[in-house]
Amino acid sequence: MSIEVTNVTKKYGDFYALDDVSVSLPTGQLTALLGPSGGGKSTLLRIIAGLDTADSGTVAIEGTNATRLPPQKRNVGFVFQHYAVFKHMTVAKNVAFGLEIRKTPKAEVKRRVGELLELVHLSQFADRLPSQLSGGQRQRMALARALAVEPTVLLLDEPFGALDAKVRKELRDWLRRLHDEVHVTTVFVTHDQEEAMEVADEIVVINHGRVEQVGSPDQLYDEPASDFVMGFLGEVTRLGPVRLRPHDVEVATSPGRAGAIPGTVTRLLRVGFEVRLQVQLGDEFGTGAEPVSVVLSRSHARSLDLELGSKVWLTAAVGAVTVPAMIAV
Amino acid sequence: MVEVSTPVKWLLRVLAIGYVFLLVAWPVSTIVREAFADGLGTFVEIFSDEQAVNALTLTVQVAVQAVLINLVFGVGISLLLVRYEFPGKRVLSALVDLPMAVSPVVVGLSLLLVYNGRDGWFGEHLEKWGVQIIFSGTGMIMATCFVALPLVIREVVPVLTEIGDDQEQAARSLGANARQTFLRITLPSIKWAVVYGVVLSLARSLGEFGAVKIVSGNVANQTQTATLLVEKQYQSFDQAGAYAVSFILAFVSVLCIVVVSILRPKEHSK
Amino acid sequence: MATATLDATARPTPPPRRRAGARSTLTAGSSLGLGIAVTWFSLLVLIPLTAIVATSAGRGWSGYIVTITNPQTMAAIQLTVGQSLLVTGINIVMGTLIAWVLVRDRFWGKSVLDVIIDIPFALPTIVAGLVLLGLYGNGSPIGLDWAYTERAVMLALAFVTLPFIVRTVQPVLEELDHDVEEAAASLGAKRLTIFRRIILPSLAPAIAAGAALSFARAIAEYGSLVLLSGNKPFTTEVVSVRVLSFIENGSTESAAAVASLMLAVALFVIVVLDVVQRRVSRRG
Repeated sequence: MSIEVTNVTKKYGDFYALDDVSVSLPTGQLTALLGPSGGGKSTLLRIIAGLDTADSGTVAIEGTNATRLPPQKRNVGFVFQHYAVFKHMTVAKNVAFGLEIRKTPKAEVKRRVGELLELVHLSQFADRLPSQLSGGQRQRMALARALAVEPTVLLLDEPFGALDAKVRKELRDWLRRLHDEVHVTTVFVTHDQEEAMEVADEIVVINHGRVEQVGSPDQLYDEPASDFVMGFLGEVTRLGPVRLRPHDVEVATSPGRAGAIPGTVTRLLRVGFEVRLQVQLGDEFGTGAEPVSVVLSRSHARSLDLELGSKVWLTAAVGAVTVPAMIAV
Repeated sequence: MVEVSTPVKWLLRVLAIGYVFLLVAWPVSTIVREAFADGLGTFVEIFSDEQAVNALTLTVQVAVQAVLINLVFGVGISLLLVRYEFPGKRVLSALVDLPMAVSPVVVGLSLLLVYNGRDGWFGEHLEKWGVQIIFSGTGMIMATCFVALPLVIREVVPVLTEIGDDQEQAARSLGANARQTFLRITLPSIKWAVVYGVVLSLARSLGEFGAVKIVSGNVANQTQTATLLVEKQYQSFDQAGAYAVSFILAFVSVLCIVVVSILRPKEHSK
Repeated sequence: MATATLDATARPTPPPRRRAGARSTLTAGSSLGLGIAVTWFSLLVLIPLTAIVATSAGRGWSGYIVTITNPQTMAAIQLTVGQSLLVTGINIVMGTLIAWVLVRDRFWGKSVLDVIIDIPFALPTIVAGLVLLGLYGNGSPIGLDWAYTERAVMLALAFVTLPFIVRTVQPVLEELDHDVEEAAASLGAKRLTIFRRIILPSLAPAIAAGAALSFARAIAEYGSLVLLSGNKPFTTEVVSVRVLSFIENGSTESAAAVASLMLAVALFVIVVLDVVQRRVSRRG
């Protein structure tokens, strides 16, 4: 294991940012720490980097106990949400910083910086100041800077959080490709489940300072360990006694299937290729109960000839992921 | 933005300019007229007058040393106040502003009470060991340090707060130690704030009067600074001399603020 | 020049991520630095100021009262406080007005005006007294011979305190959100109403802080008054001059007694500043 976090606790006053967290992150993989804001994932990342210290527990990096090591001795690369570029240095100087600190010979520094700028497609900007770069370019520069010191692990704290949606998507694909090329153990923090699912080999879901679940994106999506994980990874609706994803609700226009629950379509919304319905169940399920959300494809909806006020019967699809609904939703 | 009507705009403009002109610009300009009333004659006299030359030299020596001390102290305490948490930080942060509000006369008296060689709290013992603070350069430097103390801090603290510690953390994660981080990352980022602080401290230090008057003893050719000389010249009816020395002091201080105001916009465009 | 500036956002507030309270984040090196800094600060500022309080208590409470209530001292206190209040009042109006003109108006020579505002701050006080004498003293070119009168005291105090409110209000006015004013205008508010109801309340903390600084400076002023006011007991003698004459007569206990009052004003102002700054930064 590349990074072993054992029984780490971190408190701010009475607030537990991390509550007895243990997690092992395998070498060479791209791992996402996923969770809502304020859940403790950034704190965990900063403790791994040595930028914060844990109140108790240990951190080992590649077998070395790093718990008491200052950040500059851990050989980690850290990429910050707001880039943390050195504003007074050119792009090349930024990337060279770690190498210069390590007293690397000048020619070697020059060669490495050239390579890295090539890697992040910033070669033509080498002599510019960071203020002349776009947000995405700055973050790529920050990544090159972190990679320059050949870190044992690369840590990214919400690396794309400050970028707009399109650039975000591009950089996300690019990070995945970069990781496939460079193979450095990488951990990144995100609150965007889509980002985590798309990029990561493994996802650690963290909420309220605790690890909720660890697994591959598929595992998490198909076998959520808790209500929270299920809800965080995608939309969830309640159908009678269970909670499930809106696209796992089967819609029929006649009461054919066993256990089908009748209801009335109260809203119908077409969004691109899909159709979203809200179905109000009958009085026997409690008046004023939340309507059920249903997502189906456009062609399917058309074939059922659905419109506002249509009477429908709902069942959970075969093989759908369901968790029992809690009493009060 | 909500525009004001033209007559009101003109009224406000005229009031502002008129007030500043009558209170500051016009009076200050009279010094030029007075100082050059005899052409350059008065200045030739000043620079051949041993007492005036000694006073100006002493002023520069005291001011430069006080500024250097305040520079080191100011940058250090700013870093501590912005980058670290420790018990009593809030009190310290408020207290470093105190010299701004304390009268120079009170400053002088307070140093006198502690460091005078006769019955001062520490002065008595220091005297026995042969260290004299009051009526010497040391006391004058301390008085000047006291009055100019907050200037560097008030320039540096806002900039340090604004730049945040992201860059410093990035440097640490890239392997830089505390000294390297300070010299390569922090110092370049606060460079201009430090320069302003130093220039303003210099202006303030060169012009200090009340506190220095009390601790220096005001002995001609020994502990008499330029501002003390101006007072003495004026009171002994050497108006021309007083205006000439004043002109030199005013010139340097105005130069200081002009330098700062020229440097400052640069920072914004960066 | 922002030396006299109260920058709302400029105080060292702990970063929100670390709600560390009174916990220390000092390292070995920074602890040493803090130790040296606090030692120097104590030797230079704290212990000497404590000595003033201790010395003023030297003759006991009744001795203290006798010193303070001496008619000449009382006259000096009355004059100083009266003129300081008057000048602070002038500064609240003129300082805010000048800051407004500097931020919202555009005219040729505005940058010169901006620089001139700082002159009183940088000019040696003894020189300030001298230049004011040139225009408002004996042989005044505009026929206003105010030398050695109460007016002279007011003039000197107004001169040295000019930058304070201008420089505290100016940055706040610059940062003011124009949308809010436009929103108020769109809701039908007249210009004066917008100024009174929208702009003035946002400026109030800055004006308060500037006024506090300006009052403190006025109470403390010495250098500019030496030549200009004539230091006539019961007419133009201010508190700082009184303290100095006590020192020169060798009665340090009386000097310390009066100085302790001035110190109390200074401390009060620093507390006001601290509170205002915290309130402003919380409002964020």
